[in-house]
Amino acid sequence: MAVETPRVRVDGVGKRYEGSQGPVQALADVSFTVGEGEFVCIVGPSGCGKTTLFRIIAGLEPSTTGHVALDGDRVEGPSTDLGLVFQEYHLFPWRTVAGNIGFGLEQQGADDAERERRVRDLIDLVGLDGFADTYPRDLSGGMKQRVALARALAVDPGLLLMDEPFGAVDAQTKKMLQDELLDIWRETGKTVLFVTHDVEEAVKLADRVVVMAKEPGRIRTVVDVDIERPRTRSDDAFTDTYQRILDLI
Amino acid sequence: MAVDVSEDVDHATDALGGGLADVDTRRARRGLGGIVAFLLLWTGASLTQPSYVLPSPLVVAETFYEQVASGEVFVALGNSILHWIPGAVLGTGLGIGAGIALAWSPYLDDVSSPVVRVLRPVPPLALVGFAIAWFGINHAGAAFIIAVGAFWINFYATYGGVEGVSEDLLDVARSLGVEGDVALVRTVVVPASLPEITTGIRTGIGRCWMLVVASEIFGVAGIGRRILRASNNLQVDVVITYILVLSLTYLVVDVAFRALQRRALAWR
Repeated sequence: MAVETPRVRVDGVGKRYEGSQGPVQALADVSFTVGEGEFVCIVGPSGCGKTTLFRIIAGLEPSTTGHVALDGDRVEGPSTDLGLVFQEYHLFPWRTVAGNIGFGLEQQGADDAERERRVRDLIDLVGLDGFADTYPRDLSGGMKQRVALARALAVDPGLLLMDEPFGAVDAQTKKMLQDELLDIWRETGKTVLFVTHDVEEAVKLADRVVVMAKEPGRIRTVVDVDIERPRTRSDDAFTDTYQRILDLI
Repeated sequence: MAVDVSEDVDHATDALGGGLADVDTRRARRGLGGIVAFLLLWTGASLTQPSYVLPSPLVVAETFYEQVASGEVFVALGNSILHWIPGAVLGTGLGIGAGIALAWSPYLDDVSSPVVRVLRPVPPLALVGFAIAWFGINHAGAAFIIAVGAFWINFYATYGGVEGVSEDLLDVARSLGVEGDVALVRTVVVPASLPEITTGIRTGIGRCWMLVVASEIFGVAGIGRRILRASNNLQVDVVITYILVLSLTYLVVDVAFRALQRRALAWR
């Protein structure tokens, strides 16, 4: 069997802070891989360093030990290989929906016609037809997150990295966005690494769930979710996996 | 789902638009009432005083008409504009540029901070000596004083705006392929701090008009010079006439700039 380079390799990543009461070990020896086209969730209690890990993988923060590699290349800083989606959206408020989605394409110097076509396709993909010229101010939370997702997808990153993306929307919208994300994932074949504190969300979405523990933030175990999609809560296999992960946290 | 949201947005905008129009007419009505009341008070007060202390509104209106008809107003206004525009443009441009550079670069900030703190409290008028020595008693000298005033207002407004730009937006921009300081400033820092920058410009425009009068005390022609000359001759009606010209010009410029600002900040 040929040895394939995984899309993401997190290798012995640790992070120490100098806190006011001495050094704090936020992460210790975190290692896992994400394969091409895989959907992996990182789940854990608050304070387990999920967001720190997200920021290190995204290249927004250096690790103290270990490293992260994307397609075998070390991540040294943010780049278009990594599409980022945050809980708070972080849309550019002075740009319209189309302007936000087209931002990355403008930096790549795509010509106008090509860019407009891509933006139109992406608006369609995330179901925001008719909102191209709307400013973020006039969008609901769920719509903002769709824009953020489309904006990240625009530059065709090798990995979609999402930090609690549906943490700030109501339950109904959350469910809808989860289904849409799965559709988009299937349609685009993207590799997704998704951070959440919501175990149910992780079981619903992921191929594999990386379960973290705290003090120090580390990996407790990795759970394979071998359930046919679409998954429903009432399913026995779903409940079993859900309970198993909950017991680990 | 998309349809539902769009209807909500429409309703919200309608309600807001209608409400705003009502408030606008009420404000205008009250404002007009205020002007009438002020003119009545002024007329009443002028009856108790000789006209070289406080002329009545009618006398001022007459003088205003004479000054406009003789074209003297336009000569004075034209002269003032000849140092107001270069001074305001230069001071604003340099202030915004310096504000961005110092707020963005910790190195430049550290280097310039002591000098900035020493120069900051110097009132522009204290620099009249330099204006005369470096430029002479002319438009350039007056423009220099106006520019100094505009500089600091724009410098601090821009500095504050740039300092407040969210790190997260910069992270997002980097992850979407923006590389280097100049590109980040252009694509994120400037648009994100545009509300503060334009507020600075607007405040600066007002301050510059005040400095127009002050900058003319050492002999440069313009509205300020005209006010000072009339004051020396106890022509209070002429003084008020030129104060009105100043106010009206400022009002026109301010309304025009506000319209521009609203358009540039339509996203807010």
